[in-house]
Amino acid sequence: MSTILIVEDEQHQRELYAMELQDEGYTVEQAANGKEAVEMVKKTKYDLVVLDIRMPEMDGIETLGKILSRDKKIPIIIYTAYSNYKSNFMTWTADAYITKSSDMKELKDKIREILAARSK
Amino acid sequence: MKLAHYYSKSYTILLLDVCAAMFLIAIITLPAGMLPPGWIRAGIVLTGLYFIARAAVLFFAKREFGASITGLQTIISNFKKGRYSVEVNGDIKNDELGVIYRDLITTGNHINDIMSSQKTEINNLRELYNNIVLSISSYFLVTNDREEVIFANESFCKKFQFDIEEIIGKKIEDLFFFVTGRIKDSLRQIIETREAIVLEKTHILSKNRISVIGDVKLSSIEIKGENQILIVIDDITSKCRKDYQISLISQISETIQRDEEIDTILYTILTGVTSGSGLGFNRAALYLFSDPDQSLAGTMAVGPDTIEEAIEIWNSIQANEYRIAAPRERRDGPAAKGKRFLEKTLSARFDLDAENVFTRALKNMENIHIYDASRDERIDDVVRELMDVNEFVIIPLVAINRPIGIIVADNKFNQVPISNDSIELLSIFAFQAAISIEGYNNIVKLKREMQKIKERQEAMIESEKLAAVGRIAAHIAHEIRNPLVTMGGYAKRIVQQAQKAPKGETIARAAEVIIKESDRLEKTLSNVMDFTKPSTFIMKFNSVNEVIEDTCSLLHNSFQEKKIGVRLSLLPALPLVKSDFNQLKQVMLNLLQNAIDETPPAGAIEIASAVEAKRIAVYVRNEGSMILEESLSQIFDPFFTTKVTGVGLGLAIVKKIIADHGGEISVRNLPERGVEFKILLPLPGQ
Repeated sequence: MSTILIVEDEQHQRELYAMELQDEGYTVEQAANGKEAVEMVKKTKYDLVVLDIRMPEMDGIETLGKILSRDKKIPIIIYTAYSNYKSNFMTWTADAYITKSSDMKELKDKIREILAARSK
Repeated sequence: MKLAHYYSKSYTILLLDVCAAMFLIAIITLPAGMLPPGWIRAGIVLTGLYFIARAAVLFFAKREFGASITGLQTIISNFKKGRYSVEVNGDIKNDELGVIYRDLITTGNHINDIMSSQKTEINNLRELYNNIVLSISSYFLVTNDREEVIFANESFCKKFQFDIEEIIGKKIEDLFFFVTGRIKDSLRQIIETREAIVLEKTHILSKNRISVIGDVKLSSIEIKGENQILIVIDDITSKCRKDYQISLISQISETIQRDEEIDTILYTILTGVTSGSGLGFNRAALYLFSDPDQSLAGTMAVGPDTIEEAIEIWNSIQANEYRIAAPRERRDGPAAKGKRFLEKTLSARFDLDAENVFTRALKNMENIHIYDASRDERIDDVVRELMDVNEFVIIPLVAINRPIGIIVADNKFNQVPISNDSIELLSIFAFQAAISIEGYNNIVKLKREMQKIKERQEAMIESEKLAAVGRIAAHIAHEIRNPLVTMGGYAKRIVQQAQKAPKGETIARAAEVIIKESDRLEKTLSNVMDFTKPSTFIMKFNSVNEVIEDTCSLLHNSFQEKKIGVRLSLLPALPLVKSDFNQLKQVMLNLLQNAIDETPPAGAIEIASAVEAKRIAVYVRNEGSMILEESLSQIFDPFFTTKVTGVGLGLAIVKKIIADHGGEISVRNLPERGVEFKILLPLPGQ
């Protein structure tokens, strides 16, 4: 079963995502900020990272760079409330950019799609 | 009978005496029978002897004194006639009468000498006096009580071009137009009261149109029982003209500086050159060059149509009054006076191609002085008919080497020759007018440009606003989306779980989250709303110390929660500041909340108040981490935040309130650790 790392500073959201993805059958680990996420990526090999942009300590864009410099192949989905960050060229290095929505269907579909492509 | 009497008629009496004696003797020689009685005879003889004796005395006396007495009589009768010079015929005897005779002759001659020397002197004086009176530069005029001229000096005749023979006996009112009623009234007054009158700066206009500004002295003199009025006129025209010109120049510059409408300025200039009774021009007209149709068009004209109108106008202004009448009359419709001149000017238009004296003055930028329009070949019939005057002057209006029009002026009514002085003055006005017109045109252009810039600026502000709205919208979208996502997600879970198997605890937890998030959403929104809505202030005198204390007690629980110590060092008797208490409390609240967030647990917050450089200073210091140098300048910008959950409006609101109070706020990192905010508020009256 795939292991997914959720990087999100807002606890309630993070927990929500975890529950939702667990319901989908994934193993989910959580990081409350970029720094934590980078540390965790160093220790564990995740199949996919869901990354928020606006976070204290280290924001999503910086975290993205740090994770990618460690593991170029790890799929990363940017999942943010900002709808206008898509044009930032750093986000292009991510595999997907999805605007947050209470209906998490788009995120779930994307995760499924990426993991399916990986497992081939 | 006195001897002197005989003497005076000596020869007659002598003759009579002899006749009487002879008659008496004849009686004695009558025949005896006819003789009167003896005593009468004796009487006749005695009487005859008396007459003979008297005749003899006379005869001898005559022979002895006759010449001397006759001489004396002649001298006395000459004296009586005022002839004191005596010529002696023959010898004078050395008797007593001769001595008197000689003395008399000497005295007579002496008197004669004195008389003749005095006469010479008197003649000299008279000549001098005549010379003075006749040639003095003041104009002398003497009239009798019937105001008929009985004397005028040379200067008077010369100035007013009268022939002395011609004006003697004429009435004063036949010599002058009474431009102002003052002279007429004064003449009447002096005939009644006999008291001298001085009329300063009076405009005098003779019937043959000689115009003079003078100080007029009227005095009454009595000669041979008849009252005469002496009128002395001191000509001060040129002095007044200088005053007038200076006053006019200053008035016109004043008008120009007042930034009046161009029409008002031009009208003022034309009125100016035609005002001042007897000083300015009689008429003036302005023609402006029109670029699009390449023509010179009559634009404005000022001046009377007839001599009667001219006198009426001059009568309404004192010669020493140089104030230009406000051109109100023109605004209320065409002026009653000079209507014809104005209409004629306004309808006049000259194509620049057509060669005439006006277009020539414009094109060559030269002054043209026409002395005799009827004979001058530069004048065509159109201009001759338009001006209807022999002498006039054309001055071009030149703005930065570019002709923009002309001014035409004349003295149609008082026919004063146009002096170089007047032309120079007119040139100055033409220059002023040109500058004004040019300035006005530039202002119009400038205003048009300014309008464009303003419109562009407004567009920019508008787009800036839109951009700001965009930024705010993006921010709000983010801030609202996060809680919404959370709420929506949990709400869905509630639904899902409720569908499977109801678990009271989970549902409660989920509901709690939803409530919390919705609270947060409300707070975000209200913060944004607070910042954008215009604040109405209730300005009263408030104590800043009280604001601080109030806020601290409000935040008491928050301090305790984090075990933060608050150190207050407030200046006692701090002056009150005019402010909105609640707004200042908002400021303190925001600053202290910030401080609480930044201060580590069990840390300290310091609040101080003071008076510095006539302003109230409030310091809020915390022990939190330093602010990055590059962030210091942005810390008060809206939506700038370093906090995870902040909207970034707290300090922006603080800055706005302080600015609304005319104060300043600044921030700096403290040397060791922590951050200091400093507020400066103005004291009333500073």
